[in-house]
Amino acid sequence: MNHEKKIPLIRLAKRDGMESWKVWCIRCGSILFALLLGALVMALAGANPVTAYGTMISGALGKKSAIRQTVKIAVPLLGCALAIAPCFKMRFWNIGAEGQITAGAIAASYFALFWANRLPSPVLLLVMGLAGALAGGLWALIPAFFKAKWNTNETLFTLMMNYIIIGVVRWLQGGPWEGRKGSQIIPQFDEAACLPRVLGVHCGWIIVLVLVVFMHIYMNHTKHGYEIAVIGDSVNTARYAGMNVGRVMMRTMFLSGAISGIVGFIVASGANNTLYDGVAGGVGFTSITVAWLSQLNAFAMVGISGLLAVLSKGAETLQTRMAVPTSISDIITGILLFCMLGCEFFINYKLIFRGAGRKEARHG
Amino acid sequence: MKKFLALLLSMILALSLAACGGDSGQSQPTVDKPADTQQPADSGSEPAEGKNVKVGLICIGDENDQGYTYNFIRGKEAATEALAAKGITVEWVVKWNIGEDSGCEDANIELAEEGCDLIINNSFGFEPFMLKVAPDYPEIEFIACTNQASWGDSLDNTHNAFANIYEGRYLAGIVAGMKLQQMIDEGTISADQAVIGYVGAFSFAEVISGFTSYFLGARSVCPSVTMKVQFVGSWSDATEEANAASALADMGCVMISQHSDNTTPATTAQSKGVFHTGYNNDMISVAPEASLIGTRINWAPYFEYVIESVANGESFDQDWCHGMDMDAVVMTDLNEAIAAPGTAEKLAEVEDQIRSGKLQVFDTSTFTIEGKALESAFALDTDGDFTPDSEEAVFDGAFHESYFQSAPYFALSIDGIEWLNSAF
Repeated sequence: MNHEKKIPLIRLAKRDGMESWKVWCIRCGSILFALLLGALVMALAGANPVTAYGTMISGALGKKSAIRQTVKIAVPLLGCALAIAPCFKMRFWNIGAEGQITAGAIAASYFALFWANRLPSPVLLLVMGLAGALAGGLWALIPAFFKAKWNTNETLFTLMMNYIIIGVVRWLQGGPWEGRKGSQIIPQFDEAACLPRVLGVHCGWIIVLVLVVFMHIYMNHTKHGYEIAVIGDSVNTARYAGMNVGRVMMRTMFLSGAISGIVGFIVASGANNTLYDGVAGGVGFTSITVAWLSQLNAFAMVGISGLLAVLSKGAETLQTRMAVPTSISDIITGILLFCMLGCEFFINYKLIFRGAGRKEARHG
Repeated sequence: MKKFLALLLSMILALSLAACGGDSGQSQPTVDKPADTQQPADSGSEPAEGKNVKVGLICIGDENDQGYTYNFIRGKEAATEALAAKGITVEWVVKWNIGEDSGCEDANIELAEEGCDLIINNSFGFEPFMLKVAPDYPEIEFIACTNQASWGDSLDNTHNAFANIYEGRYLAGIVAGMKLQQMIDEGTISADQAVIGYVGAFSFAEVISGFTSYFLGARSVCPSVTMKVQFVGSWSDATEEANAASALADMGCVMISQHSDNTTPATTAQSKGVFHTGYNNDMISVAPEASLIGTRINWAPYFEYVIESVANGESFDQDWCHGMDMDAVVMTDLNEAIAAPGTAEKLAEVEDQIRSGKLQVFDTSTFTIEGKALESAFALDTDGDFTPDSEEAVFDGAFHESYFQSAPYFALSIDGIEWLNSAF
């Protein structure tokens, strides 16, 4: 042990102004690195990595039916990433999208279950969508109101709200909306309350694509979007500029919740044709990754959510064909996300090794 | 940075080497059109008279549950062995841990696209999602175990199946009743202290039918017995099941039984010093001082029957339900060390009576509802409001369970059984 003052082995320094080609090289490199690490995991699990990756891709995109399923997985991810983007831009950590999706699904399901005979299908679907948006928006408005009024912690608040609303669905499943006694299952919706299919997938994909364009315009070319950006950069600047921060927060959260609510409507009406407590299925959390990876860029989200959907569908096929446990594919997805998020670190900081000239850095 | 790149490069090299090395003859059975493999009965395959059937199995859990899904896997393995002896090779594709949501629809599509000739859905809640896929693949047979909407629909390729598990429950009840009677006779408990505690998942027909038959079996040998049922609100929640068993023991129940997936009621019974009878699996190993016997569905006869039918290109029953007559319901080993003397003989006797049809489990002379004998009860729901409205189940002096359809429909609350919470 020597006690003389040493330069640490690795030092970090902030770097800015990296050329964009370099940035993209790092990003691509990180994906490559993740795929290699994933290959290692697969090899350990006893599968040939090359065949395994091939199986994943062909399983997700190899056939029309496979592509349809992949799109079905991507739709809620994309929709929800769009929903949380404005909140995150504002540095309002809304991790309650899960609950907002569920709230929207409940409201949509109410009309699906009890109004199916009273309204023509297009009107019914419209009402379901609006109800979903309203419910999701109101559910999101509650934590925003408390934050604006009393500066409560929005992370904890939105998270807790998730458990409440999921509890409500459990109650509905076993209580007033239950189908066969004791089954805990809400009956399937009437045909009129199910989203029609376009090209083999429920038309939720069209809705989210429209939302992509809307969100891009909203964030980049409107006064609202500008206010969100300013608040995200500095609340004090926003105040100084005369913005009503609390109001903007509530407005943005309502919008975010409303889009999540629409996603809830799409999932309940388009994919499941029923309501159950897992309607959000973790989408509210996974979409946070989608939003971050896309750097809150609406168009990039299309690609990222597609990538995650390919992985997820590919993992299923991997399990089917090669009997690789789905948990292995979860690990690979995890590695990929970790590397992709982690590489941003190397874009923003550079590592300076001690004694850059020396060949080997040994531990004392 | 250079060092890092070098490391990366060397890793790539190493891995690609490993990949090349491992690539020896690992060809996947690629199946593009399910139609091509549909008629495996055709003699065209390489083995002389070998027939191949590809079967998909969608499971709600995995075999580690040591209960519900594990029981299916046991059936799968036994059936595969039995069919191999008949020259039928079964290729299984199993999907684990599938939820009762659109993920189940995807799993069905996936298995259909992989070229399965037969797809078995093992959980009740899978059925509506299976039924969305079945119309698109008329050449593939679909089975929804334990549910009831497939056999009566307009599709020919959808099926239901279940077993008369109430027969096994009745026998388990006899083992419990004899133990209780022995305790009464020996003076360990008084006659009115013979109380059974039952851990039920939900107040669902399958559960109600199960605990009622269990109770009737116990009461046939121990007339003073009563029962308390605690619903836990989950098919599988180890902690809640243990809590329920513990609460029941504290309320004075000296015998615990269960309709839930875990073994925790058995271990709780042992730690509370009371007895237990199990379900789905032999629980003697986890609770040797408490667990008397268990009963389980044996899926092997059914799997063997349907797979053989598919292999031969024959159609099979759209709704299948058998019990002890075809060994579709079996008892696990009796724990002779703690069971009442004479239990094995009594079991054999009653089993014979059930097989021969001499004994009806839901004999209407053995129970009352609010003091009155049951004279009429409907079996099936035809208008979709989830209340039975057709097919009289009570005739010839008994309620005929699983007679009009495989899924149980006895959902009545009989005297002597106290429901502690029917919130679930």
